[in-house]
Amino acid sequence: MNPSIIGQMAVSGALMGLVYALIAYGFQLTYATSKSINFGQGELVMVSAFFSLTLTNLGLPYWAMVPGGLLFGALLGLVVERTGVRLALEQKSEGWILLSIILGLFFFSAAENIWGRDDRPFPTPISADPIHVFGVDVTRLELSVAVGVFAIMGLIELFKRRTLLGKAFEAVSADRDAAELMGISATRTVMLSYALSGTVAALAGILVSPITTVGPTMASALILKAFSVAVVAGLDSGFGVVLIGMALGVLESLASFYLGSGWREAPSLTLLILALAVRPTGVFGKAVIRKV
Amino acid sequence: MKRILFLRGAELLVFAFLATIPLMVVNPYALGLLTLLAIYGILLIGLDVTVGYLGQVNLAHVAFLGLGAYTAGLVVTKLGLGLVPALAAATAVGLLLGALLALPALRLEGPQFALATLSFAALSTTALNELESLTGGAQGLSLSRPALFGTTLTPPIFFWLCLVLLALVWMVMRNLLASQWGRAFEALRDSPIATDAMGVGTYYHKVAAFSLGSGLGGLAGGLYAFNFQYLQPQSFVYELMIILLLGVVLGGRKSLWGAFVGATVVVLLPNLLSNRTLFHLFSGAGFAVALAAGLRGLVKKTTRPFQAFAPVVAMGLLAIGGFFVENTEDWRKGIFALMLFSVVVGLPEGLMGFLAIFLAKLFRVPPSPLPEPSNLEEVLPQHAQGDGPLLVLEDLKRHFGGVKAVDGLSLQVLAGTIHGLIGPNGSGKSTVVNVISGLYTPTAGRISLRGATLPQGSLTRVARAGVARTFQNLQLFSELTALENVMVALKGVYRMPLPLVLLGFARTEERRAQADALALLDLIGLKDQARTRAKDLTYGAQRFLEIARALARKPDLLILDEPAAGLAHPDVVQQIEIIKRVHARGVTIILIEHHMDVVSELCDQVTVLDGGRIIAEGAPDEVKRHPKVIEAYLGQASGPEASAAEPQPA
Amino acid sequence: MLIVDDLHAGYGASEVLVGTSLAVKQGAVVALIGANGAGKTTTMRAISGVLRPSHGRVLLDGKEVQGLDASRIARLGLAHSPEGRKVFGPLSVEDNLLLGAYGRLPKFLGFKAGAQADLDRVYELFPRLKDRARQASGTLSGGEQQMLAIGRALMARPKVMLLDEPSMGLAPVIVQEVFRTIRRLKEEGITLLLVEQFAKSALEVADHAYVMERGRIAVEGTPDELRRNERVLAAYLG
Repeated sequence: MNPSIIGQMAVSGALMGLVYALIAYGFQLTYATSKSINFGQGELVMVSAFFSLTLTNLGLPYWAMVPGGLLFGALLGLVVERTGVRLALEQKSEGWILLSIILGLFFFSAAENIWGRDDRPFPTPISADPIHVFGVDVTRLELSVAVGVFAIMGLIELFKRRTLLGKAFEAVSADRDAAELMGISATRTVMLSYALSGTVAALAGILVSPITTVGPTMASALILKAFSVAVVAGLDSGFGVVLIGMALGVLESLASFYLGSGWREAPSLTLLILALAVRPTGVFGKAVIRKV
Repeated sequence: MKRILFLRGAELLVFAFLATIPLMVVNPYALGLLTLLAIYGILLIGLDVTVGYLGQVNLAHVAFLGLGAYTAGLVVTKLGLGLVPALAAATAVGLLLGALLALPALRLEGPQFALATLSFAALSTTALNELESLTGGAQGLSLSRPALFGTTLTPPIFFWLCLVLLALVWMVMRNLLASQWGRAFEALRDSPIATDAMGVGTYYHKVAAFSLGSGLGGLAGGLYAFNFQYLQPQSFVYELMIILLLGVVLGGRKSLWGAFVGATVVVLLPNLLSNRTLFHLFSGAGFAVALAAGLRGLVKKTTRPFQAFAPVVAMGLLAIGGFFVENTEDWRKGIFALMLFSVVVGLPEGLMGFLAIFLAKLFRVPPSPLPEPSNLEEVLPQHAQGDGPLLVLEDLKRHFGGVKAVDGLSLQVLAGTIHGLIGPNGSGKSTVVNVISGLYTPTAGRISLRGATLPQGSLTRVARAGVARTFQNLQLFSELTALENVMVALKGVYRMPLPLVLLGFARTEERRAQADALALLDLIGLKDQARTRAKDLTYGAQRFLEIARALARKPDLLILDEPAAGLAHPDVVQQIEIIKRVHARGVTIILIEHHMDVVSELCDQVTVLDGGRIIAEGAPDEVKRHPKVIEAYLGQASGPEASAAEPQPA
Repeated sequence: MLIVDDLHAGYGASEVLVGTSLAVKQGAVVALIGANGAGKTTTMRAISGVLRPSHGRVLLDGKEVQGLDASRIARLGLAHSPEGRKVFGPLSVEDNLLLGAYGRLPKFLGFKAGAQADLDRVYELFPRLKDRARQASGTLSGGEQQMLAIGRALMARPKVMLLDEPSMGLAPVIVQEVFRTIRRLKEEGITLLLVEQFAKSALEVADHAYVMERGRIAVEGTPDELRRNERVLAAYLG
């Protein structure tokens, strides 16, 4: 087996893994504030990508389209929070799991009927010509994924650590009641986390669409792997999702080479179930102390 | 017995009616729907085990349907075996893979569990698609319906077969739910910690329940295969899973009837979408119901505004959208979503849950009478504990981050004594109890009971080793009755193996358990409230009940965590009386208590903790005079009359 | 400054508070004592809005606040330092303190400048916190966490401060230090409602005290009056 081919696959796998990591990071954002995640996150990725495509088709230049798409993602995140999550959280039930699945299904159906069922190309000014780095071919397009992922995660982490609002975010995640006592509104913090999560999903859609094309089912495979990454890495560590995301990306690109492309999903899913058996809170997750 | 007869009568009537339909109607389409109804009935009863009884969102059920279907198909096509082995294999695959998935997945809760099951479902679809040599991949797998004992399975006969199996599953589930298993399911949702601490084993019961549900999924899959005689991996995907969840939630969780109603809905849904008039009628009716229910909730203030409005908006969207959309089939997912959304938000109890409340008002059927209580001597035998230490703690430590909650504790509890553990709030008393009882794993140190090392970090194993406990913040099974609370914990009564329980042979055992539990309720003076739900008992009675439940474990060592906290004076007196009675039966007790008078009156020996360490030990009177104790805990010059719960003069 | 009138509250079906009424005057330190489970902590939680009262009124500086979100009540000038301290473990000591002043600081950048004076005051009060300013607060000892919790509540410059069981789980030496701090805050004119299991120490710093029994106020008076009350003496002061 040619080592350069392995290297080639590892690199493109890892870059794809960053997209999984980014979506998984979206789960972490909401989990931190409310212990809930949006099971319809994949549909947010897809609908935001379609919306961005529409913006482009309306003649908006790429750099003006991106903020528009991100804003739309944030709005969708807020819709999910309001309709699917808030009531269940108030009732301290886990109804949000079912409700966020349902909302995802609705978005899916809406997208099918608004934009059609076909996959469509997503235009981008970033070149898809390969450049040669260390014996491996990478396109600028693929690199743009890495840049985008690290940029937004870096920005959000910076926000969490350097601004008071970000610290409030961390405070709610550490102790919701105590945060309320400091004058921090937990409800608004949860809203903010869903908006951020939606933004992250939209960015994932915009970054990955030029590579995979846009279609109603574009996110169904993505989201499964993002779930795996989130569970394997745990829902606490941003660093963890990047690492696990890249590892999974490499693994699946090797699996599809050796076992056939249909088995792409197998390693991540198997890894997920195995990881659960060994460490239920995730590799980078925090242990939970039970109280009576 | 009246109540039982009434319920059985209703069940019998429905099944008998269903069974006669093929004799009266010869429409093959209708027969097909009925067959599917029976199959989905089994499937949804299985799903309800996890979604309803365990209260977890299970997204893997559709995978078990698929795996069962393919197993049955392969057994017939590749192995050439008959119908019975095929169905048995399908069920077995469900049971087995269910257990395999549940073992890791049920260590998780809520979202992680849902994710794990979702991944399993995706993995199984991948496998069905990719194992082409076996399953035919996306091409699909064709099979024919083999004969059953020489009888050709014509559509009516196959329907009867499915119906008989549904009736069987129904009966088996009913027996299971009426046994200790059903109680354990209820208990572990109310308080998993207490379930573990009563030696019942939350994890084990959850895994068994999930496996059972998955087995039913597999069986339904087998029938599905023989019904359609053609299988494709695409049939068993996410969308069907959501429809199944819709069925269970709409029908009503934790209810066999609910699953049946849900199955009816699932079967009729496609027809609803294909017939425009029916759709308008249905969505209009749905809108009217949502509007009426929403307004009623708002006026009576039983629901929040969102809960009232959201279903109205969703159903309104459905009703109005129905006039503008060209083809409803295009919007099927959206339509399911709107319906499911309305039900989950507006009718979380489901149709049967809603009906059950209504019916319960209509028919008041008294429950069957309780047996005479057993002799207390049989339930909690009087025994002398002998001399010497029963429980020994050596250099026990438990740290949380920088906080040393327990910091090097060595302690002996002598057999047959009541050993008091006191100290200021946060001095580590509760942590000690939580470490001994297995809720926390100690950071360091050794615990032994009768010289043998006590298991660490497992409530269940510690409970089985002979340690029972109560909880400072009550951990009763609040939805269960006082009697059932005690029955859940009863040790040494339930011996019937699961298969016999399923066939309904646990009835005598149940009577015995009731009698034993009654004896313990009698001991604490709650015999007359045996049928009262725990959450409806007075606060004092709830505290007493915690003790009765712990006693059901027939413990060597009973740990009472602040049994008098928050009790009014008369209740404190009664609680002291109860503890004396328990002690008189030879049970060694560790008593954590704030009320100094309770401690003085009951304890033989007292250990005083502060900052996770022992600051004094001795008889109650000695300890009370100890300068360190006065400084750290009692405050200056504690008199012998020190009491924290004097009654207030009127 | 703080008036509580006929407050009812509880968890689920069980009502813990059955008509609690009390008042805290501006600049006064008021102690709330009583047995475990009498409802002291529940009173605190119902006042600060962590627990929504089912009935009754809470007036903060003349404004009805019952039923509002805890965060809203906090921004209106009530600082509640909860039982068990509840510091934000993963965050640094300084971040914890800054969050205490959340309501009045700019939310993005430049927030530290706005709170520097208060930070200096807290560090002066608890020099040990200054040494550990960058340390994650979860790694502090129990005593240091308590100081942090008090400091965090002070950062808000509250009109009224609620302090719940500041001595819980602390060694006697540390408890004495906590009470010294309370005495000093009192000299500086703080308005404080204090829940404390060490009734004696609490009465020493208080201007007025309430004794709770089973969800309502059983006895009230000045510390001297309570010390002369035989029943209180027997039940709580040993």
